Amino acid sequence: MIDDEREGEIRASIEPATEDAPSSPGSSGYAGEGGDSSSTTSGSHFEIEHEEIQEDTRIEIDRISISDSHTGWIPGKRHFDEDDASLSWRKRKKHFFVLSHSGKPIYSRYGDEHRLAGFSATLQAIISFVENGGDSVKLVRAGKHQVVFLVKGPIYLVCISSTEEPYESLRGQLELIYGQMLVILTKSINRCFEKNPKFDMTPLLGGTEIVFSSLIHSFSWNPATFLHAYTCLPLAYAARQAAGAILQDVADSGVLFAILMCRHKVISLFGAQKASLHPDDMLLLANFVMSSESFRTSESFSPICLPRYNPSAFLYAYIHYFDADTYLMLLTTSSDAFYHLKDCRIRVETVLLKSSVLSEVQRSLLNGGMHVEDVPPMPHSGSSHLGQQMLPSDSPDRFKEVNSGIGGPSGLWHFIYRSIYLDQYVSSEFSSPINTPQQQKRLYRAYQKLFASMHDKGIGPHRTQFRRDENYVLLCWVTQDFELYAAFDPLAEKDLAIKTCNHVCQWIKDVENEIFLLGASPFSW
Amino acid sequence: MGCGSSLLDGDSRQLGRPISENGAGQDAKNLRVKLVLLGDSGVGKSCIVLRFVRGQFDPTSKVTVGASFLSQTIALQDSTTVKFEIWDTAGQERYAALAPLYYRGAAVAVIVYDITSPESFTKAQYWVKELQKHGSPDIVMALVGNKADLLEKREVAVQDGTDYAEKNGMFFIETSAKTADNINELFEEIAKRLPRPSVS
Repeated sequence: MIDDEREGEIRASIEPATEDAPSSPGSSGYAGEGGDSSSTTSGSHFEIEHEEIQEDTRIEIDRISISDSHTGWIPGKRHFDEDDASLSWRKRKKHFFVLSHSGKPIYSRYGDEHRLAGFSATLQAIISFVENGGDSVKLVRAGKHQVVFLVKGPIYLVCISSTEEPYESLRGQLELIYGQMLVILTKSINRCFEKNPKFDMTPLLGGTEIVFSSLIHSFSWNPATFLHAYTCLPLAYAARQAAGAILQDVADSGVLFAILMCRHKVISLFGAQKASLHPDDMLLLANFVMSSESFRTSESFSPICLPRYNPSAFLYAYIHYFDADTYLMLLTTSSDAFYHLKDCRIRVETVLLKSSVLSEVQRSLLNGGMHVEDVPPMPHSGSSHLGQQMLPSDSPDRFKEVNSGIGGPSGLWHFIYRSIYLDQYVSSEFSSPINTPQQQKRLYRAYQKLFASMHDKGIGPHRTQFRRDENYVLLCWVTQDFELYAAFDPLAEKDLAIKTCNHVCQWIKDVENEIFLLGASPFSW
Repeated sequence: MGCGSSLLDGDSRQLGRPISENGAGQDAKNLRVKLVLLGDSGVGKSCIVLRFVRGQFDPTSKVTVGASFLSQTIALQDSTTVKFEIWDTAGQERYAALAPLYYRGAAVAVIVYDITSPESFTKAQYWVKELQKHGSPDIVMALVGNKADLLEKREVAVQDGTDYAEKNGMFFIETSAKTADNINELFEEIAKRLPRPSVS
């Protein structure tokens, strides 16, 4: 049972600014740098607008898609014509920049990198100004905007955001962008900067804008980006076993990792002895493969780096799509293994067809995952939905009937369960109260905030958290074995919500061998 | 979708042709050759291959990552067949250092440029030199000026291509993956120029 429960206990603690206080002397210095008022960083520049800016109202770039499909989101970079002088550019809610330590632009989410050279130089000046003082800048707050910095050797990453996401989340996103860069180039890119500090990295990333824009898009729909866990496609235990057995067979023949995936969900995977795969690497690998259209055209063989496995070296990936959604990745250290891997794939394909795994995968895609409506009814919850509990007295209109007709029991709308031991999570399908992309994105942002607060080293660790606002009741429960994040109707009763969470956990235990990859997991680092 | 190449493999096995790792397992009637496409990004290497292998043309450009592998068998008039095992390499700069991975052991190299882009013609010459230095000594090389349908935007004269190819002992042809012009001719001509095992 949930204990140690305190309401609103983290409200005051989300501010990460204290940690960054040492860097604040820098922020006073920026204003003095250069007389150009339009490009100083003291507040005015980043404080673009105070009124509510609808995110990307002109073109719906940030629309998130329902479940995994990318319908409604057109991949690729937009707004090439913008630069820092464009009002539309300045109004964008969330910018990402990558630049070199000499101030050369490498990547920017919006606008043409080359036209942002001046802006990049400004960012570089901020970073080096603070570094010259023997310090490093992590965060600058300017009105509604946060400017988050991440320095990775000669590569600087910056996020400018007015989305009110926690600092830890934004920093985590910059880490993933850096990781994605390593997937494509490895850390040996640093050597180019050692030889020539003014090295221009953009040609080396030619054609990869889509990989980065797809990753950035996933920050608003894929919980793996902040949970640091992966998720499996729900599948009958026997089907997953059949897939796992052939992957193990293949892995034993000199393949480092054999991974079978459906979109961003794992069907099964197997690693060679002692080789372990980090969930972040899987996320970046899957994003790379899914966003690169050419892999769908034919079987491919490509160098690829797994930053958590070995950031300095390329592995070689054989990639083959069995159908529009399901693909096999075979990773090896040997650059001339293509024909062997191709043979392995033919063996895998034969087994998958014989045991009809591929058709079960398609069926699972159609049926979806766990639905909150299917949470088993409470066996002996003597209390009805109404009246029994004391509701918060601060708002009298809370005494309305909770509509349990939509969503699951007790007004459960959605949940995410993360198994700490397995490094896997399972997320319920979205129920009707949160069926628009905007609502889903808002919910993920709320979870993300909850996650950051539960893992805040300064005030944590926490075991439970119960928050109520005008949008939802959010309940988080962390134990040694799992973390549960649940969203309820804002009128949900606390006691019933807690009971429902217990039922969800029990339900997950009951079906764990269909929703998780169990057993010989290589995820042991 | 995506299964086409695997089906081709299945077919080749059913035909009972011996398959060995180095591609040497072949008789005089049924050749099996490794072919690599090289050239700047965006010149249309993948389009040429997809036109040849699947008869398709997709105007939306899809950047190749690493290299794609496709195969296609053609029958010649002298009743021999040639199975091309094609490495369609990525044109991006970051893959240049990895090119040997794909052209090592190749019997044929098709070097592609875009007739509307002098830079891509320069890049093609770089690949020719690289192969002359590091490729197999008896490699058959073809120089291909693609996007021949964009006549009004032409910036590389036919004569420039012809001259350069002649100087370097290459076969030259201009193609259009879009209109399918000269695509089959390209591969048929390559097939004719292949050294035949029976000769030795």
